[in-house]
This record gives sequence, C-alpha cells and structure tokens, in this order.
Amino acid sequence: MIWFWSIIIFPLFYFFAILQTSFLIYFNLFGSIPNLIFVLFFISIFYTPKNNYYFIIFVGLLAGIFLDIISISQFGISIILLIIIGLLIKKIQFLLKDNDNGYSLFYFLVIFLGSLLIYNLVLQNLSINLINSLIELVYSSVFAIFGFFIVKKVLKNRKSNKIF
Amino acid sequence: MNFSGKSFVNKKKYAWLKILLIPTILFGLIFALNAFSFQIKNSFQVLSFPIQKTFSFAGKSSSNWIGSFLNATNLSKENYNLKNENQKLLAALSILQSIQEGNQALSAISETCQDKNFTTIMAGITGLNNEDILTINKGSEDGIKEGMPVIDQYNVLYGKIFKVYKNFSQVMLISNKNNVVNVQTQKIISKEIESNIDTDDKTSTENIEENAEKIIFEAEKNVNGIVKGAGGLSIFLDLVPVDDKINNGEILITSCIDQNFPKDILVGRIIEIQKNDQKPFQQAQISPFFNLKSVKNLFVITDYKKDI
Repeated sequence: MIWFWSIIIFPLFYFFAILQTSFLIYFNLFGSIPNLIFVLFFISIFYTPKNNYYFIIFVGLLAGIFLDIISISQFGISIILLIIIGLLIKKIQFLLKDNDNGYSLFYFLVIFLGSLLIYNLVLQNLSINLINSLIELVYSSVFAIFGFFIVKKVLKNRKSNKIF
Repeated sequence: MNFSGKSFVNKKKYAWLKILLIPTILFGLIFALNAFSFQIKNSFQVLSFPIQKTFSFAGKSSSNWIGSFLNATNLSKENYNLKNENQKLLAALSILQSIQEGNQALSAISETCQDKNFTTIMAGITGLNNEDILTINKGSEDGIKEGMPVIDQYNVLYGKIFKVYKNFSQVMLISNKNNVVNVQTQKIISKEIESNIDTDDKTSTENIEENAEKIIFEAEKNVNGIVKGAGGLSIFLDLVPVDDKINNGEILITSCIDQNFPKDILVGRIIEIQKNDQKPFQQAQISPFFNLKSVKNLFVITDYKKDI
C-alpha cells in the first residue's frame, strides 16, 4: 500500500498545486485560498505508522517542493518546515490514545489546525494577518475534514487504522 | 550472546550513519533545487500552463455561475444603481469633453507630471498564491523585467513584476504585505459630477471656465498618502496627515511622487476612515479596484516616462 501511495502522491500533489493556484483563486474567501497541498501532506502523515520516518521525510520533501514552487520563497524553507511538522505530528499522535475506531475527528482537527498555524506563522515570520489566517485555517479544514472521512471510509473494511 | 552484542553494535553504527546521511542528502538536494530553481519553476509553469488555463477558465465560469445565483436578489437594485451611475457618467463625460477643449489651465497641471503614454505587453493570469503573488504567462523572453507595473484594460493598478523567469513572471499584487504605493485622492471628477448634474442648463463657455477654475482648485487640494498591502487581497491607506481631509467614496490614484508606477492609475476607493487625533496620521480601509474574478488579461507597462 505504501508503495502505491508513494507513486500516486506525486501526481496528486501536482494536481492539487494547480487546482489551488488556478481554480480555487476564483473561490477565495476574503482573499484566502485553502492550502490543498498541506491538507494532502497532513492526511498522508496522519495515517502513516509512527516509525516510518522515511515516508514522513519523503512526503514532507514532495509537499515542500510543490509549496516552494508556487511561492516566492527559496527552495528548502517549506521542505524543512514540513519534515519537522511531520515528525511532530507523529510525536503528538503517540501521546494520544489510539482507539479501535482510529483517531477522532476532534483530534484530527486540533492537530491539523495547530500544524497549519505553525506552518503559516513560521513561513510569514510571525507577522500573519489574523483574520485572513483564520479564514484560511477554516477553509483548509473543510477540505481536510472531507479527506478525513474519505480515508475513514477506505479504512472501514480494514482492521488497521493506518492507511499503509 | 557474542553474536547479538555484535549485531547491536552494528545496528548502533547504522543508526548513526543514517542520522548523518539523511540530513546530508536532504541539504544536498535542497542546494541542488536552489541551484536549478529558475529552470525548475519555469518548467513547472510551462508544463502546467495548458492545464492551468483550463482550470482557470473552469474556475471563472463556475464562480460567475454561482455568483449570479447568489446575487439574483440584488440584480434589480444593481441595475437601478448602474443606470443612475451611467447617467451621471454621461453628464460628466460631456462636461469633461468641453473642459478639455477649452481649458488651458488643465494642461498646465499635467505639465508638472509625466505623460501618460506608455507601451504595454498583454499577459494572461495563470495562478495566484496565498502571498498575493500572481503568475502571468509572459517572461524574460517577452521583454518583461523586474519592477514593471501591471495594470488591466481599465487602467486599474494590480502590482509590479516581482520575479521574472524565462516564460513566466510573478506579479506582486498591491495587496502583498511588502508592497507600498504612493497615491493621491482624486476629487476632481467626483465633485464635478455632483455639482454639474444639478445644474444641467449650464453649458456655456462661461461655465466651462468656471469648471476649470474649480478643477485647478480641487487638484491643489488633493491629499497624498501611501497605500499598503494587508494580505488577503486587501489594502489600506496610511500616512495621511491628520489635518488633511479625506472622505469616504473618494478615489485613489497613483501620484507622480511614485517612481515605481505611472501617475493617474486607479488604485481603489476609500470605504472607511480611521482617524485618531492622538496619532499624527490617519488611516483608511480601501476597496481595491483590481478584481481577479472579472479580469481577462493584464498589461505589463514596459516603458513610461518617469520624470516629474
């Protein structure tokens, strides 16, 4: 499964990067666009087994490259930031109780919002526009929740609560 | 026992190797990406342009379709307002035409500022990111250079060229947090429209002269300030001395102080003034004229006179 995901994740990131920069700009809410690349990165990391560091680095690297391509910043900022966030997500998940039904939506949302906020804060040198950032967080979380339920449905027939 | 101890040492050795090797590879990769950053970003845009164009078209169409549903209730009101505005504009147009013909004083004002003639290159929008950076499909091959102003067909300011690649460029919108534009309020047209609509019988030469005097007087009173980007496609007016009078609804245009943009380019309209007597400057919220949902093409100004 992980090999399948590793192959499919590249075109998915590419598709989401284009969707985010060309289609969703016409659906901006007060100038904010959802960060679909981050959503995909987060879902991939959230359902990765804890010790799969290579995969976390791989996903962080890919997501970072695409985020850096569509931004004005140099290559590397998003890559390093996402790898650190990815490892942090796994640490936080380790502290949370992994019940039979997998993680609850509440845990998922809290970690998602926290990690996206950290990403935006660091990327913009702590000088974020509060209202716009909040709108972006909420807008992105709508897509993240959608992704959460899709993955949950996929996992319904599997015994494991990990996608891989 | 000996064997397991040996394997433990080996495992530890490999763990250290991994810890050293992974960051080294990672930083090497980042270094390589930065070394070829120009080519990578350019290739991405060139390859993605056909898809982006399709997505952009689909996005614009569906956004307009949804927008028309949401605004259906306001259509009659909007129509009424537009008709009213059209009448006012027609009245203003006739006044301005007659003023232009006979008014020598107006040309004296324009002598102090640069000529508005400039050459442009048309470009299509291919993307926008969360940092208020637009991507257009023209690059260094088309003669685009960093710092060139970007407007639309209605003379509305969008921003300036931030970074140029071979086949595309990044435009820093005026709403980007790092953007600053020198502006001035445009009181001439709005005040003249209001005053002349009521006095529709006055069209004589005497009236034209009177209007011209008013225009000169108003032009001298134009307030200067700075428009700063606030992110999220929003802008605000700043550094307007607290004694200067600005009103809601006033139009902001680029001033001849600004060497980065040609003068008289439309920027936005004042919607809410934030005045505090304890502060030396007043601020105002601005509704920008640029509209990414309706714009079809942008124009990069490649050459304009910068002399004041």
